[in-house]
Amino acid sequence: MEKLLNEQVISQVKQAFIQMKEPVQILFFGSRENCDYCTEARQLLEELEAIDEKLDLTVYDLQDNADVASQFNVDKAPAIVIAAKDGDQIVNYGIQYSGIPSGHEFGVLINDILLVSGRDSGLSEAVRDFLKHLEKPLHLQVFVTPT
Amino acid sequence: MLLAHQIAMENPAMIRAEGVEATEFPDLANQFNVRGVPQTVINAGGGMVVGAVPEQGLIAEIKRALN
Repeated sequence: MEKLLNEQVISQVKQAFIQMKEPVQILFFGSRENCDYCTEARQLLEELEAIDEKLDLTVYDLQDNADVASQFNVDKAPAIVIAAKDGDQIVNYGIQYSGIPSGHEFGVLINDILLVSGRDSGLSEAVRDFLKHLEKPLHLQVFVTPT
Repeated sequence: MLLAHQIAMENPAMIRAEGVEATEFPDLANQFNVRGVPQTVINAGGGMVVGAVPEQGLIAEIKRALN
């Protein structure tokens, strides 16, 4: 199959990944039914995983692995969960992207990986304090389009 | 989207942040009347932010939606 990431992009990603600190686990959820972009999204992540050994990818099916999907609150495909990997433990940070990350969103995915790798949100102290003391669940859905 | 993800990281037991590619999930985008991107939907429509906003702007809308 033809590569999705060309040499130039791979070299840019390699540069960016120099900043990676701790290991990152990507969970990909595909589906055999009604998923136009699953094959391409999975291939993109496989090419990305090959770039840096701190990045690990596991592939799941939304129906066959319904328990894992439910554990990570995934209800659609393709979906990408960017989690932390501490030894054998996968630590869910509630970070997800539904769809194929192309164009601008590919850059966001790279930044997401660096964010999780650093294990630090970088937010201001006041905001961290507010978020840590939330009394109600918060679900954010950020809609984007390919650019 | 990165900001929403930064927010989730602070308290993943209570917070989930999902980026959604609107053209791949048009039903969901229509359900929340997505017009401009990025558009942030808070707790299934309890709050809404259209366009990219800085940290303080999004937090203010989250506070409003949770109250």
